[in-house]
Amino acid sequence: MATIVDITEEKALEVKNFEFTYASADEPSIKKLNMPIAKNSITALIGPSGCGKTTLLRAFNRMHDLYPGNEYAGEILFKNRNILTSKEDLINLRIQIGMIFQKPTAFPMSIFDNVAYGMKLQGIKNKTELNDRVEKALCDAAIWKEVKDRLKHDANGLSGGQQQRLCIARAIAVEPEVLLFDEPTSALDPISTSGIEELVIELKKKVSIIIVTHNMQQAARVSDYTGFMYLGELIELGYTEEMFVTPKEKLTEEYITGKFG
Amino acid sequence: MTHTQKRIITNNIVMVLSTLSAIIGIGFLFWILGVLVINGVDALSWTIFSEEGAPPGYEDSGLKHALIGQFMIVGVATLFGVPLGVLAGTYLSEYGQKSKLAETIRDISDIMMSAPSIVIGAFVYAIVVAPMGHFSGWAGSVALTIIMLPIILRTTDDMLQLVPSTLREAAFALGAPKYKVITQVVYRGAKAGILTGILLGVARVAGETAPLLFTSFNDNFLNTDMMEPMASLTVTMYNYATSPYEDWQKLGWAAAFILSMFILTLNILGRLIIMKRKGK
Amino acid sequence: MSLIIDKIFAHSTKLVAISVLFLVAWIFTVLFQHSMESMQALGFDFVTETKWAPNLEKFGALPAIYGSIVSTFLAMILAVPLAIGVAIFLSELAPAKLKSPVGVSIELLAAIPSVIYGMWGLFYFVPIIRDTFGGIGISMLTAGIVLSIMILPFMAAVTRDAMNTTPDILKESAYALGGTKWDVIKDIVIPYAKAGIIGSFILALGRAIGETMAVTFVMGNVHKISLDLTAPATSIPVTLANEFTEADTDLYYSSLFELSLLLLVISFTIISIAKFYFLRRTRVA
Repeated sequence: MATIVDITEEKALEVKNFEFTYASADEPSIKKLNMPIAKNSITALIGPSGCGKTTLLRAFNRMHDLYPGNEYAGEILFKNRNILTSKEDLINLRIQIGMIFQKPTAFPMSIFDNVAYGMKLQGIKNKTELNDRVEKALCDAAIWKEVKDRLKHDANGLSGGQQQRLCIARAIAVEPEVLLFDEPTSALDPISTSGIEELVIELKKKVSIIIVTHNMQQAARVSDYTGFMYLGELIELGYTEEMFVTPKEKLTEEYITGKFG
Repeated sequence: MTHTQKRIITNNIVMVLSTLSAIIGIGFLFWILGVLVINGVDALSWTIFSEEGAPPGYEDSGLKHALIGQFMIVGVATLFGVPLGVLAGTYLSEYGQKSKLAETIRDISDIMMSAPSIVIGAFVYAIVVAPMGHFSGWAGSVALTIIMLPIILRTTDDMLQLVPSTLREAAFALGAPKYKVITQVVYRGAKAGILTGILLGVARVAGETAPLLFTSFNDNFLNTDMMEPMASLTVTMYNYATSPYEDWQKLGWAAAFILSMFILTLNILGRLIIMKRKGK
Repeated sequence: MSLIIDKIFAHSTKLVAISVLFLVAWIFTVLFQHSMESMQALGFDFVTETKWAPNLEKFGALPAIYGSIVSTFLAMILAVPLAIGVAIFLSELAPAKLKSPVGVSIELLAAIPSVIYGMWGLFYFVPIIRDTFGGIGISMLTAGIVLSIMILPFMAAVTRDAMNTTPDILKESAYALGGTKWDVIKDIVIPYAKAGIIGSFILALGRAIGETMAVTFVMGNVHKISLDLTAPATSIPVTLANEFTEADTDLYYSSLFELSLLLLVISFTIISIAKFYFLRRTRVA
């Protein structure tokens, strides 16, 4: 059984007996997984490729529903309800649980429209409100100074690091409660990466964060909790400071000391 | 009603409309295919292949003349179009590469591929039919060769470019001259792709009617002399279908069916070859 | 020895390749030369004159030009929404089991020769138009509809291909903000694939305007400008297909060549716009 640290804070999400099977697979990719996610903190998911960390992350906003035939089992509790039921309002769920992807995904529109997109989807048309919230989101994503004079420019003209911060601005503009980061710096240079990391730490004041990373130093730098996954199972979830020094499980120790993976 | 509810309703409406247009579009297309198969199969018989054309009302009439004419006109066009197209494509991929000349030839060929084929007919009329004084099978073949050339050229160019450059370098490293590298290594690597290009090129010109109307013209009887006007399935189909005689119209459907099956077979073969290669 | 063969091979490939440019130039030249007589005799009146009466040596191309434009316009109005609908269905909506078979049959239908569409139009669609709108059923409207059905598979296939170039991750990002399918299609997929979609529509337009056989059966070759869409009409290719072998005077013959040249210039222009302005670097066969 997995070693799971007791979380003292309130929980943002709670995974219970979760199983996930891809449409084309015979076997579940995630097996009987239990995991609490602490509120207003950063939980990093680490593990070798194919361990299921991204699969788990994409279950939190039901991204898997975009492709037919994928199957969930068990429960993921969010605000006292199981979000894996067929009754779940996915549009509403995705507004509350935002996501940042491996690569910057600037939409083919202006910088302003990118950030305003989520709000416009919700029917916010008031110009002043839109302007205020776009500015606030861009400030919170630490990119306002760089783009304030070219809000009408095409977002694809920004650099990779700027685009990724733009995507973060776009995600926080709709004021989500949870933000999912899927290897957000894997396509970025080291300077942009440290910028994004600082930003992630700053953001936890307002939102609960789950970040998938293949980079253990990154997990150590930014997260409060780290979950180590292996072959579709959670092996260990602990305080980041403790886990990288004194892992409880042998597998975790082997992984963080570079014996495999 | 909240904005989100409105969005969901709009979404559902658009999805229904899109599915509906897909059903309408696909319905029309299958209607045509169905008509073709029903009328075609109904009109098929052995006499289609064994008999020539006949005046309306005769029982023993067939499409032998048109089938043979079609085969000769398209065959000769293929005989000219394929080597010329492959050579020109070889220049683009192996010699010209990204040069201005090569890019210009590519652009002009792309435009030629979509240019109206009836205009090619008019051109061939002026340079072949008028000087000879009469329509001929040759003129038809020339028109089809011109239409086929850019197709073969561009697919050859594309397919040769897909051959990894390390393969060429390896051959050069063994001291082979360029023409040997191309003919013995590059062509071999792109064989399946070039073959598919040829099949699609033949399929494309086999369905052409407009450029044959005033080049090879037509003949209701069997003629194998390329110097004379010659029947083709497409022009025969056009003449028979627009005639008021029911038995001719029926022959027209048979011609349409045979031609479509031939063209579809070539297309499917081409796909299978490409798929098999990808599967490897 | 090897060196000589090498040179011969290299030069012959270049010669054949360059001959393609020469061929195109030759086509334009020949058409131009053969149009000279009509150009000199009729001048600009050729394209503004509405009367086409070979027996009176009157050659006004306006009805044919009008017919080409109107029939193509009709075809585009009908085909564009259908093509977008089919493309959306194929790229975003259809279940995996349907996607491939329906997609492939659409592509195969694009390979069916246009003469078959014309024949189907004559035997199956003309009666419907006749029964619905009266008249003889052979008309501008029939031509427009048959033409639209003929270009539909090509347009739908290319539009779908353009839509499919949108990266999944971009679409997922929009879904992750709470977008519906339609939101994602209209805000992400269509803007992303815009150049490809518009380019393929213009390319289809270029092909439709030069299409002969799909319309020859059902248009009637009547040189008369009529606002009534259910009246028979003509277009440039229809005139050529019907009258080329009948031209009995030099001026008649020459004016048909001028029509050919006009058609070639129009389609070359449209196709070039599609290719150079919208489809730069992408290839649409």
